[in-house]
Amino acid sequence: MIPSDHFVRFYNEVFKSLDRKGRVHLVDYWHELGRLQVTELGDRFKTGGLEAAYEYWQRIFLEENCEGEVKLNGDVLELRMHKCPSLSKAMDNDAGAHGLYCDHCMAWVEPVMAHAGLHAVFDMESRTEPHCVMRVTRDKKKAEEFAKHAKLPSTPYIPASLPPR
Amino acid sequence: MSTPLRYQDTGEVHLDFHRTTNGTIAYLRQKHGAEFLDDVFRHTAQDVYRSIWDDLKQGDPEQLVAHWTYFIEREKGTYKIEREGNEIRFIVLQCPATTYLRNRGIVVDPEFRRQTITMNQAWSEGTPFEISTKITGEDAYVQTIRRVKL
Repeated sequence: MIPSDHFVRFYNEVFKSLDRKGRVHLVDYWHELGRLQVTELGDRFKTGGLEAAYEYWQRIFLEENCEGEVKLNGDVLELRMHKCPSLSKAMDNDAGAHGLYCDHCMAWVEPVMAHAGLHAVFDMESRTEPHCVMRVTRDKKKAEEFAKHAKLPSTPYIPASLPPR
Repeated sequence: MSTPLRYQDTGEVHLDFHRTTNGTIAYLRQKHGAEFLDDVFRHTAQDVYRSIWDDLKQGDPEQLVAHWTYFIEREKGTYKIEREGNEIRFIVLQCPATTYLRNRGIVVDPEFRRQTITMNQAWSEGTPFEISTKITGEDAYVQTIRRVKL
């Protein structure tokens, strides 16, 4: 049994193996993650809006031992991760982290938000340090403005934005 | 044990990761086949758990036994360990992973147990041990470490 605590390290090996086989296979898998998460969260966020997303991430922050803050200020939900447990585990790992580990996050968030009529901007800040900021809003223009100021915006479905393997 | 346990997670246990493992196995099996799935498990066993594999290559199985023990206790599964001659049997009476899935009505993928079977095989490669897995029930299995070379 792979312990539930070690799923992340297994996941990281899945990303590496798919990427070795061809980037297209990794991106296909991201699409699958998105499809599954839309099934799980899409309607909840569509009906409950930012408040539902806020409740979801508050619970996740607790369950997954995240170090950071989740804030809902009017029309903006902000997740500020000071120490991402997921990337931290992928890095604290004799096998090393996959170079696009962080990108899988936006790869499922983006389709969920599209389904819910929300707009997310995920600033990874760095792919090798476990901190990031994600902002979600109903206002597309506001999201575009956030994207302009992001240090390292995550756009996993734009191939040119991904570093080569 | 010659090497301390490499990973000793603490804090909340997020058992729902067994659901995502189950889903990932189903996807890889259907889309890329069993051989690909085994390759991922082999990398997980030998690269992620390199420290355990290195100990096994040196003839020391204790870090692997400690790893199994630590995480089954953390996830509140039940087990017993039998040591006899050149064999260590780690008997899983109630596997927390399949129990979690079944209790939530999630269909356990037919290859879900392949993670245990293949990783045990991978850990035995290049070592003086044969590490086998016998499925003994819906939520039960036995992992046997048998020294086959001095």
